[in-house]
Amino acid sequence: MEARDTKGKIVKETFPSEMVSIVGDIFAGIVLSILIVSFESFLILILIIPALLSLRGNLSGPFIARTSRDLIIGEFNLKSWFENILATYVLALITAIAIGILSIILNLLLIRLFIFHIGLLIVIPIISILLTLTVSIPCSTALNLFAFKRGLDPNNIVNPIMTAVDDFLTVLSFYLTIILLGVP
Amino acid sequence: MGLFSGTLLSNNKEILYTFPIILLVLPSLNSLIGDISTVLISRLTSHLYLGTLSPKIQVSDRLKQDLYGLLMTILLSLVALISLGYLLGSATGIQIVNPLLIISIIIITILILFGLMFVLLFISSIFIFKKGKDPNNFLIPMVTSLADFLTPLFIIVLIQIFI
Repeated sequence: MEARDTKGKIVKETFPSEMVSIVGDIFAGIVLSILIVSFESFLILILIIPALLSLRGNLSGPFIARTSRDLIIGEFNLKSWFENILATYVLALITAIAIGILSIILNLLLIRLFIFHIGLLIVIPIISILLTLTVSIPCSTALNLFAFKRGLDPNNIVNPIMTAVDDFLTVLSFYLTIILLGVP
Repeated sequence: MGLFSGTLLSNNKEILYTFPIILLVLPSLNSLIGDISTVLISRLTSHLYLGTLSPKIQVSDRLKQDLYGLLMTILLSLVALISLGYLLGSATGIQIVNPLLIISIIIITILILFGLMFVLLFISSIFIFKKGKDPNNFLIPMVTSLADFLTPLFIIVLIQIFI
């Protein structure tokens, strides 16, 4: 019970999930500092990455929470799952376009680096986030189902694990997207 | 907020090229301060609703337990993060320039941010709760973006001060 938690109990329950999160994010950092830093257009690319990582959290987090809720209250079915997926993809698309437009404006105003076609700044976040969600959604749903069937509370298990998996997937998808699009 | 964080990093390219290890640990640092702040907000909200924390800006035993518990968690996580970052950085051939200074800057950044977040989130939770609203709904979405922006900002400012 949270009201009676001592400092020791807080450490015992929070530290293991934090460790999972740290390991996943260190791998995201490796992709960032080894693979992406070598690109000629790195200064524009680094503009988008923090926004994509925040966007991933704001999309995946609610998706996981809604799936957990449906499982717990006994309303999980294919229809509700597809509606949840559709809402997440639509939101991802709109926000990725907004990130692209804002990065174009910031590049024009502050960075002024024109190495590739400026329109790619809209295409890169769209493809990256869609790729991430395509892997992340089935993974988080399977993890939710697994936790629920084992009698565990999916709210406590799925989010910390998926934060780590999603951050790594976001940076990896970003890397694959810029390779696919031939960004210098 | 994420794009402002990106602009900040982009405008300080010399630091990123001189200390590539910063890029390796940055996602973990952002995630660490964001996660701990989220845990703090949800705990404060639960205490306020359960009545185990009075909606007044005052030090209580409950608040101290949360402060020490989360501080110990963040310190343990920092040790794990720095050790893992150092090991993987060395294994993957990422240049680690002036490791002691970088470790000190990382620790100072996280401790300052934790202190700031603790005070800010405690006062904000009380204020929002008194208005009859749920602090979770207002503070959690804000705090992740704020952490994503403030972490690189503090690191860059401290590097510029000390180097």
